[in-house]
Amino acid sequence: MKNIRNFALFVILVALSVRLAWSSPATADEYFVYVGTYTGFTFMNEGLPAGGSHSNGIYMSRFKPATGELSKPELAAEIVNPAYLAVAPNQRFLYVATEDPLSLGPDFDHASYISAFAIDQTNGKLHLLNTLPTGGTSTCYLSIDKTGHYAMMANFGSSSVTVIRINDDGSLGQQTAFIKHIGHGRDASFQNKAHPHSIDVSPDNRFAVVSDLGVDKVFVYKFDEKTGTLSPDNPPFVEAESGGGPRHFVFDAAGKFGYSLHEMTGFVTVMSWDSAAGTFTKVQDAKTLAPDFIGANDSAEIAIHPNGRFLYESNRRFRGPDLFGPDSIGVFAIDPAKGTLTEVEQVPPQGTMPRQFAIDPTGGYLFAENEKSGNVVLFRIDGNTGKLSPTKTELKIDVPVCIVFVPVHR
Amino acid sequence: MRRIRCAFCLVILFALAGSSALAQDKDYFVYVGTYTGFKFVRRSKTNGVGESHSKGIYVSRFHADTGDLGEAQLAAEMINPSFLTISPNHRFLYAVSEDPYSVGPPLDHASYVSAFAIDSSTGKLRLLNTVPTSGTSTCFISMDKTGKFVLMANFGSGSVSVVRVKEDGSLGELASFIQDVGHSVNQFIQTEPHPHSILVTPDNRYAIVSDLGTDKVLAFRFDSNTGMLSPPRPPSASVYPGSGPRHFAFDPAGKFGYQLSEMSGVVDVLAFDSSKGTLTTVQRAQTMPHDFFGINHSGEIEVHPSGKFLYESNRRTSSDDEWGLDTIGVFAIDPVKGTLTPVQASPTGGIMPRTFTIDPTGKYLLAANQISNNVVIYAIDGATGQLSKTGKEIAVDTPVCLKFVPVGH
Repeated sequence: MKNIRNFALFVILVALSVRLAWSSPATADEYFVYVGTYTGFTFMNEGLPAGGSHSNGIYMSRFKPATGELSKPELAAEIVNPAYLAVAPNQRFLYVATEDPLSLGPDFDHASYISAFAIDQTNGKLHLLNTLPTGGTSTCYLSIDKTGHYAMMANFGSSSVTVIRINDDGSLGQQTAFIKHIGHGRDASFQNKAHPHSIDVSPDNRFAVVSDLGVDKVFVYKFDEKTGTLSPDNPPFVEAESGGGPRHFVFDAAGKFGYSLHEMTGFVTVMSWDSAAGTFTKVQDAKTLAPDFIGANDSAEIAIHPNGRFLYESNRRFRGPDLFGPDSIGVFAIDPAKGTLTEVEQVPPQGTMPRQFAIDPTGGYLFAENEKSGNVVLFRIDGNTGKLSPTKTELKIDVPVCIVFVPVHR
Repeated sequence: MRRIRCAFCLVILFALAGSSALAQDKDYFVYVGTYTGFKFVRRSKTNGVGESHSKGIYVSRFHADTGDLGEAQLAAEMINPSFLTISPNHRFLYAVSEDPYSVGPPLDHASYVSAFAIDSSTGKLRLLNTVPTSGTSTCFISMDKTGKFVLMANFGSGSVSVVRVKEDGSLGELASFIQDVGHSVNQFIQTEPHPHSILVTPDNRYAIVSDLGTDKVLAFRFDSNTGMLSPPRPPSASVYPGSGPRHFAFDPAGKFGYQLSEMSGVVDVLAFDSSKGTLTTVQRAQTMPHDFFGINHSGEIEVHPSGKFLYESNRRTSSDDEWGLDTIGVFAIDPVKGTLTPVQASPTGGIMPRTFTIDPTGKYLLAANQISNNVVIYAIDGATGQLSKTGKEIAVDTPVCLKFVPVGH
C-alpha cells in the first residue's frame, strides 16, 4: 500500500517536473527576434494617431546571446500595425494583434484583428495562417495560455477581454470567452470608461489576471483550460490606486508574487499571490519615479529577469520631444522572501519613449524599444546586480513597440 | 418546338402538383423564445424577476389550413432565449441568450449564441454548441441567405458581430465585429450606440443595422464568402432625433425598407439603392393615433408575404398598471412608391405585444403578448390585409420571439 502511494507521489512529481521544464523558456545558441511596429503612425496622442512611420510590418533579426551579435533586421511579414506579439509555447506559431487606426473616427475605437503565423524554423519567415476579428476595438495586448490552446486579448477601446481557441494547426478558431468591464476612474480624460490593458494567465494556468487602466482595478478570472472560458473569481478584483491606471502585470517565476505597473502614477504594486484561492494581498507600493520628478510620464512595460532576482519597468514621455518625460528603465531588486522591491537604478534607454523592452531568454541582455526615436538598444545585464550597461549594438526599426524571442532550430 | 413546349407544360404541371401537395401538408413548428428569469426590461432594468415560469424555447404545431395552434411544449431548456433564427434549410435553430445576473449594470448582460439541430418529426431541439456573442445584452440574431453566417446585434456594448456556421450547423469563429459609435438626443437611452437589429438584404449583399442609440440605419456591405461587414463607416439614413430605430423589414423585392422606431412609433419608409447601398427617406408614417396620450414602445414589424401589407406592433412599456396601446397596426403598401396607408389598428388579445409573426402561407398572424402570457391567432384578409379574431390562442409564459419551421422538412 505504501509502495503504491509512493509510486503515485513519484508519478505526480515527475509529471510536475516535466511540466515545469516544458513551460520554462528553453535557452538556445541563437534566437529569432521579432519586432512588432506601428506602420501607420508614431504614437497615440490622447487617443489619436500622431506622427508617421516607415515600417511595413513585423521585422526579424537573428540574435546570438553568447556574443550579443544582432543581424540586420528584415521584414518577416507585411501587416498593418502589428502592435502586440505572442509566441505559442511550442515555439512554432506567432500571434499578432493589429489595430487599424484609420478604420473608425473616434478615440480608441480602432477595428482590431488577430493573425496567426507559422514560423519557418530555419529562416524565421512568417507564413500567415488566418486572421479574425478580436471581438473588440483598439486591442492592445495578446497572450497565449500555457497549453497553447487559447489566445487572450485585452480590447482597450471597447472595454472587453476575449479568448479565442487555437486549432491544432496553429490557426485561430472560435471565441470561447467574452467579458466586458464597466465603470470609470478618477481621470476624466482617460478613465471615463473601462480600459482593459493586459491579460495574463497565472503560472499554473488556472487564473487570468486583467489590468484595467480605466477603472483602476486588477481583475482575477478563473480560467478553464479545457473550455477556454473565464469566470469571475471571489473576490473578482483588487482595487488599485485611484487614478493610477494599471497597465501591465507580471508574476514572479515561482508564482508567489504579482507585480502591477500603473501607467499614470508609475507605481509598481507588489502583491502576494495565493495560488490555491486565486487571491492577491497587497504588500508594497513601490515608486518608480524620483520624488522630485515634474513632467508627464506614462509607465509602460514590466518584466522579471529569468533568474527571478530583478524586476525591470519602463517610464516614457507620452507626447513628442517638446514635453519632458523621464524616458528611463528602472531596475529593482526583488526580496526573495517578501517579494518587495528595492530600487537599484534608473537607466536612460538611449532613445525617446521606451514603450517596451524585452529580456532575452538567457537573461544576458535587455532590448529597449524606443518608439519615438526608432531604435532598439541592446543593454548588457549584470546577473549579480541587475544593472544595465548599454552596448554599441542597436537595431534601426521605425516605431518598435513589441519584441518576442523564438529559438532557432538547426 | 412543340415537344419543348410540352416538356415545359409538364414541368409546370409538376410544379403545380408539388405546390398543391405542399398546400395539403401545411403543418409548421412554431418556436417560441421566452424570458425565463424576468418579465420585461424597462428603463434598462429587469422587471418581474422570478415571475416568469418559462424554462427555455417552446415548440407548438401550427396547422395553416385551420389556423389551429397546438399546446406549447419545451423544445430545449435554456436561460432567456430572447431571439431566434432558423437556417434556410430548416435544419438548425440559433438562439441568443442573455444572462441578466452576470454583470451588475443594466444593459450589460453576458450574452451567448447557441446552435440547435431541429428534429424534423418531433420539433425537439438538440444543442450543438454555444459561443459568446462578442457583446453584451445581445437582442437580435438573423442568418444570411446562404446559411453560413449568423449576424447579431449587441445592444449593450454597441456592436454587431458575425459568427461563421460550420457544415454540421455548429457555430465556428467570429467572422466580423463592428463597434458602432455615437449618441443621440435621449439622455436616458441614447448616450451610447445600441444596435437593435441586423438583417441581410434580399440579395444577401448588404446588412442593415438599426441603431436605437444613434437614431441611424446603417447599410454595411456583406461579403457572403468571408462574412465580413464593411466599410466601418457605411452609408446610413437618419430617423427623427429621439425615435430609436428598433426593427427593420424589407419588401420582398428588396426595393423598400421599413424602419420601425421604438420610442416614436414611426415607420420610416426608405428607398434602397442596391448599387450604392444608400437608403433614402420616402415617408415618415406615424403608427400611433394623433390623440394618443400615454407611453408606447413599438416592437415588431413585418411585411406580408404578398408584399401588399405591412404590420407593426405598439405595446405598453410597463405591466398592466400602466396604460398603453397594445395594438397591431395594419398598413397598405403602395406597390410603386412603397408608401404606407393606414388600414386598421387591431387589438392583440393580450398585454404587451412585443412580437408577432405571419405564417408562411400568409393567412394568419400570431401575436405574442409578453405580460398576459398568450399567443393569439388572428386571420388575415388577403384582399384588405385586415386582421380578425379567430378565438384561438395558446398559453406560453413571457413569449418574446416566434419562428416557423415546416414539419418533416
